[in-house]
Amino acid sequence: MSYADFRLTDLEETLPAPFQRFVWFVFEWIPLLIAAGFWEFASGTFVPSAILPPPSEVAYVTWELLATGDVISHLQISLYRVGVGLALSISIGVLLGVGMARSDPVEDFFEVFLALIYPIPKAALVPLAILWLGVGTETAILIVFLACLLPIVLNSYNAAQNVDQNLIWSAQMMGMPSWKIPLKVVIPATIPSILTGIRQAIPIAFIALVSAELIASNEGVGFEILRYSEVGAYTQMFAVLVIISAAAFFAVRGYEWLERKVVRWT
Amino acid sequence: MVEGHVTISNLEKVYESGDERTKAIDDLSLEVPSGEFLSVVGPSGCGKSTLLYLVAGFLEESTGTIAVDEQPIEGPGTDRGVVFQDYALFPWRTVMGNVTYGLEQDGVPKEQRRATAQEFIDMMDLDGFEDKYPKELSGGMKQRVALARTLAYDPKILLMDEPFGALDQPLRELLQDHLLEIWRDVEKTVMFITHDVEEAVYLSERVMIMTRHPGTKKTTIEIDVDRTQDREDIIMSDAYTETKNQVWQSLREETQPEAQL
Repeated sequence: MSYADFRLTDLEETLPAPFQRFVWFVFEWIPLLIAAGFWEFASGTFVPSAILPPPSEVAYVTWELLATGDVISHLQISLYRVGVGLALSISIGVLLGVGMARSDPVEDFFEVFLALIYPIPKAALVPLAILWLGVGTETAILIVFLACLLPIVLNSYNAAQNVDQNLIWSAQMMGMPSWKIPLKVVIPATIPSILTGIRQAIPIAFIALVSAELIASNEGVGFEILRYSEVGAYTQMFAVLVIISAAAFFAVRGYEWLERKVVRWT
Repeated sequence: MVEGHVTISNLEKVYESGDERTKAIDDLSLEVPSGEFLSVVGPSGCGKSTLLYLVAGFLEESTGTIAVDEQPIEGPGTDRGVVFQDYALFPWRTVMGNVTYGLEQDGVPKEQRRATAQEFIDMMDLDGFEDKYPKELSGGMKQRVALARTLAYDPKILLMDEPFGALDQPLRELLQDHLLEIWRDVEKTVMFITHDVEEAVYLSERVMIMTRHPGTKKTTIEIDVDRTQDREDIIMSDAYTETKNQVWQSLREETQPEAQL
């Protein structure tokens, strides 16, 4: 449950629309402000500020990193890796999920395989990936791809298994040949769940990205974290963390916005 | 040759799951002459929906035959159109996209299929909603879209599975009258599944009452009501009331077997 679910009914009805949105906004960000307040207070009192720099300082350094452009090129590389990894996992994951749901041989072939790779932390595959693909972009993409594949496969698999039988029958009674059903009925009917799967995969993509870049990269935001922490620049390290978390946050929000615009019917 | 004549002979349907065999339909024979409006009522779980889906070709009969115009059916076909209780509209298509669906499968050119669809959209008072998606419509509107969608590709036989069951009373009456009007215009055979005795007697020329599970034909009752009258006059007429009671009585023997004693 998000804070947006809290009912502010009375307030909502008395306030004009722009103010309502402002109230929502404030309520959404209050927990973050409280946490930041505690953190600011703790830093320098309970915890030495050298190892826990206060948020005000982190915020300033974040702005500095962005303004000077130091982190931008790393961010671009990382976003490219996330984008390609996600795109691969969507295209392969949807086919695999729908295929497994609608064809027994495909299901038998992949079911155990997927069940076995599901619990493996994808970061554990990084050393192996380095062996195959070397240090750099390909390895990061592979790890992002593997981590995102499962939520997408599972969402499309479940949805394609539970497609409303009446929809399939409707198409058949109107003359659609059986071989067209998967493409023309099953996949469209599965789209809402596929979109949910993608939404779930976006934060996972960032997690996988950073775990790959921490080990197997000389560039990217994950590498930046490692680099700053090795020289003891913890404020900078925190700043990169903030940037990663903001990037993932806006990726999800942007995706949700796009989803509403493009897929009007869900 | 007459069209849309349904012949069901010694139909039996057994569901098998693992070792369990459940007989849903037991030795059912029925003729539905071309152009007849036949309602099917029966206790819940008697297999009336199964019967409809067998005629639609969605399910396969275990024994017996179903023929349309003396041709045994083989799976679903465009000569039979089903209207589902839950509408079963394609959520990713607009009203227009849903109504043109059957014509599209048939290869009708775009302009022509839009023109035909528009006719049925207007008939259902849905003009202005052509570009809406199903989720933007109310239940009653969805069911009208579903009806338009099925009528648009012109099946000879309409198979309706409690189509108005999820709607409230006034809306249900409105759509019932709409359906009657259409049925008079388009001359289609209708098999109408319902659990509502009044609905069955009000709409149809004949009602088939099914027995308790496993379902078979108990009896059929002709309904001799002058349908040129308004709803009020039909509801008030003796013929309607008597037939309704007769159907109700017959159904009650099935739903409450102890009442026979």
